[in-house]
Formats: sequence, structure tokens, C-alpha cells
Amino acid sequence: MSQPSSSSSKSALARFPADVLAAYERYRASGDPEAVQAVVIAAVLDYRPGRSSASPPVTASTRLIEDLAYDSVSIAELIFFLEDLFDLTISNQDIMQVRTIADLRACVVHKLAPRPSPPGA
Amino acid sequence: MNPVVTGVGLITPIGNDRASADASLRAGRHGLTPVEFFGNPDLPVKLAGQVKDFQVDSPSWRDWTYPESYDFPKEVLRGLAPHGLYAICAVEQALRDAGLTPADIAGDPETGLYCASAGSAMLLHHNLAAMRAVRGLRGNPLGVVSSIAGTLNFNLAAHYRITGAVCGFVSACASSSHALGYALDDLRLGRLRRAIVVGAEELNAESLLPFAHMRALSRQADPRLASRPFDRDRDGFVGAGGAAVLILEHPDLRRDRPALAEARGWGQAADGHSVAAPHPEGAGLMLAMQRALKDARLGPADIDHVSAHATSTPVGDSAEAAALGRMFGAGGLRPPVTATKALTGHGLSLAGIMQAAFGVLSIAGRFMPGNPHLVTPSPDCGNLELPRAALDQAPRTVLSNSCGFGGSNVSLVFASP
Repeated sequence: MSQPSSSSSKSALARFPADVLAAYERYRASGDPEAVQAVVIAAVLDYRPGRSSASPPVTASTRLIEDLAYDSVSIAELIFFLEDLFDLTISNQDIMQVRTIADLRACVVHKLAPRPSPPGA
Repeated sequence: MNPVVTGVGLITPIGNDRASADASLRAGRHGLTPVEFFGNPDLPVKLAGQVKDFQVDSPSWRDWTYPESYDFPKEVLRGLAPHGLYAICAVEQALRDAGLTPADIAGDPETGLYCASAGSAMLLHHNLAAMRAVRGLRGNPLGVVSSIAGTLNFNLAAHYRITGAVCGFVSACASSSHALGYALDDLRLGRLRRAIVVGAEELNAESLLPFAHMRALSRQADPRLASRPFDRDRDGFVGAGGAAVLILEHPDLRRDRPALAEARGWGQAADGHSVAAPHPEGAGLMLAMQRALKDARLGPADIDHVSAHATSTPVGDSAEAAALGRMFGAGGLRPPVTATKALTGHGLSLAGIMQAAFGVLSIAGRFMPGNPHLVTPSPDCGNLELPRAALDQAPRTVLSNSCGFGGSNVSLVFASP
């Protein structure tokens, strides 16, 4: 049985493409950590400093600070967004270990994993 | 030495650039439009002076829309309040108007920034509510710098790399006139050679409705009846949002540039009377005007045009009229008096510099705005000369008044260069 996503999460994702919302819904329904990837990448691009019109190609190895010009404020905004969206807490110590998109995804997935059962299960 | 005005930037209810505001002032065209807050038609606020072509109702800058001619990176937008967006657009305009680029002022120790803002009550409330919702665990990392009263100076100083001086003013409806006055002093004292002076205010439920609770707002739904300073039947002010910027420069800085006006002098004084109401005889304003004229080395007979603070409140207009009556009437003088808030509404922290900018437009464009909403001059507004239509007369000097909470009063004098 799937767990309906909260309206606040849907509203937080309203500015993202439909496939991002679909990936988030898939995660909510199945707990599939693979679905987290698309949401993390979309959030990283959304909170990246610079002009919205410029959208650089990113891969799992893209670095937040060196490649995407992230600063401490934009990292904080990104982390807070993910915390609210996935209802988890990421500590400063966790953040210090994050350098690439893959690191961030792993961090989020790791934080989600200890739950006793997937949402809705 | 008096500084000169070399650039004007305007995001206002009557136009989002110098040319359109100039045209509205000449035509007596108001910018008041219907407004409804919280979906509640029972609120006694029906109109506001709203900025057109900007949509900044959301507390998230990601939802804002604004003219494509302005392009700012996310790291700039994320620190701004809605009125910060107006302000930065007005600064861009003013720099262009003055023939400057952001590179000309970046890191220049001779350029200072003087801002007036009440902050963003909407963002402050939104950010604190979000913090409470998660029991203090997290919040918007730029919640402070985007919402408290210094938000304009914080953000604009960082974006434009201002190094000469950065400061903010919070005397409510007199604050951007204070900003102009102190900028003028710093230039005359030789501390700086260029000042960017900014006033801005947003227009939303959080900024405006508290004034309805003070019974200070007009309840009228007809724009022509709602804001009519000095009229017998005036019933309060109409709120306004927007931003105005003036660039003041030492006259020797760029002699090749035509100056729009000379910033001739200023004066301030306080009522010592009430937290909200003006002194009934305009005592502080009278002294502020006298000091401004003394600073400008002018007499009352030298003032060609008065740009009144008059907001259309019963007590405020009456007090200013009393002060103007004593200032000019004693010598049998009747300079044309204009209250441009009839067209724009009252912009609070924005009001003083918006009015000053209109005074500069009057001098540069050789006209005086009128009082198109005035029907029956109020008996308690003395014997003022209140032209209905704009006058095709070139003022050599304009005296511009501002009055704020706590009885602070500022008068500014601009002159043809």
C-alpha cells in the first residue's frame, strides 16, 4: 500500500519537471532508493548559484563547489530543502563529507535506509 | 560645493522608468489599482499604488516574475525581499541614467550607499513561522538579511561591491529623505564623491493592513476619491510599493555629464509631540523647512515649487498646510504646492526619495505636477496654491517635505544645476 505524498512536498516540487515529481512519488510508494537520484540531481541544479537560464550537464561525479559554484548558503538551502522533502536530518558533519552529487545521494539514501520499513509498507 | 543629481531610477506605481513616471506626472495619471488581501472583501482597504509588471506576492523569490530586461543570478535574488527586487532594478536604471556601469562603482572607495527600508514584515513572518514549524531546527539561511530593516543596504552593498560607506535609515516615512540628507552631507564634507541613495517598500498585507488598524487608510474604492491630499473630504492614505534611486555626485567628478539638478540643502527637526500624529501646527516640519532653506542659502521667496508630504490623512495634511502657511504665507508668497501621493499613494520608506526624484524630474523637465484629485480644498489647509493640472512652468527650486512616525521631519531643496 502506498503512502500518499504530503501536499507540502508536492508544493515544494511544483517548480520541478514532472519526471522529478514522478520519481519522488515512486520513492514514496516503494522506498526505492534509486528514485532518490533524480530528485537529488534536480534539487542540486535548482539551488546552484548563477542564472537560472544556464543549466550545465551534470553527472554523479559533478562536484558541488568546484563544478557548480556552490557556496555555504546555497549548500545550506539545498540541505534544508532535502531535509524537509524527505523528512530527515543531515548534520554539519554529514555535509562535510559531501563533495559530489553521488556523495549527496548516498548521504540521503543512507539517512533514509535505517527506517524500520519503507514508507507505506 | 553642492552635489548634483546625475541619475534617477524608478520602479513606481506610475511608471517603471524615468520617462513613464515623467509622463504620468505631467498627465496627472494615477497608479492606484484595486487590491484585496486574504481573499477578504470585507477589509476596508480597496486600493493600493501597486507596481506593474512585477509579481512578487510569494515569500519565495523562485516564484517571482519581473521584466526580462532585468537579469540577476540566484545568489543575488535569494537574499532579497520583494522590495529589494524593486530596489536593485531601480539601481540598475539609475546607473545607466548616470552613464555608469556596475564596474565603475565596484570597489570604489569614493562611492557610498544610503538606503531606506522598513524591512519585509511578510518575509520576517514567513521565515519565523517556518522556523517555529520545525521547532527551531532549521530556517532560511538568508532569512535575516532578506527581511530585517537593513536588507537593502546588506544586499545592494554586497552585489555592487560598495566600499565607500554603507548605511541604512529607519525613520519610517521620512527615512529615504534622511538617507538623501546624510548622503548630501557626506559629499559636502568631502568624505565621498558619489552616493547611491535608495528607498524602497513592498506592498502586501503585512506591510499595509497594520495601517488600516491605525485607521490611517482611505476606505474609498474610487482612485480619484481615495488619495486626494488637501481635499475637504480626504479620508486617509492609499499604500504604495516600489523603489526610487538617486545618484548624487561631486560636481567635479564628471563634468562631461549633464546634471539633472543640484542637491542644494536639507534640514530636519522633530515634533516632540506624538508617536504617530504630527504636531497640529506642523512645528517640527516648519523648523525643518527653515533649516533646509538656511542650508541652501535661500529664502522662502526663492522656492518656486513645493512638493508636499501630504498623504491625504485628515490630521497630516492639516499640519503640513499650517506649516506651509506660516513658511510662505507670512510673506504673501504662494508657490505652487503639489502632493504627488494623489497619483502614487504613500510609499512609506520609499516616499521621501520618490518625491525627491519627482522634484528632480520637475526641474530637469521644466514642469510642475498638479493635484488632479483635488475637488474642494479643505478650509483647514490654509491658503495654499494648489494647481489641479500640471503647470508648464520651469521651477528653479523645489522644496520636498517628508514626515515620519515619532514626529521626524525632513525637508530637501533641489535646484536647477
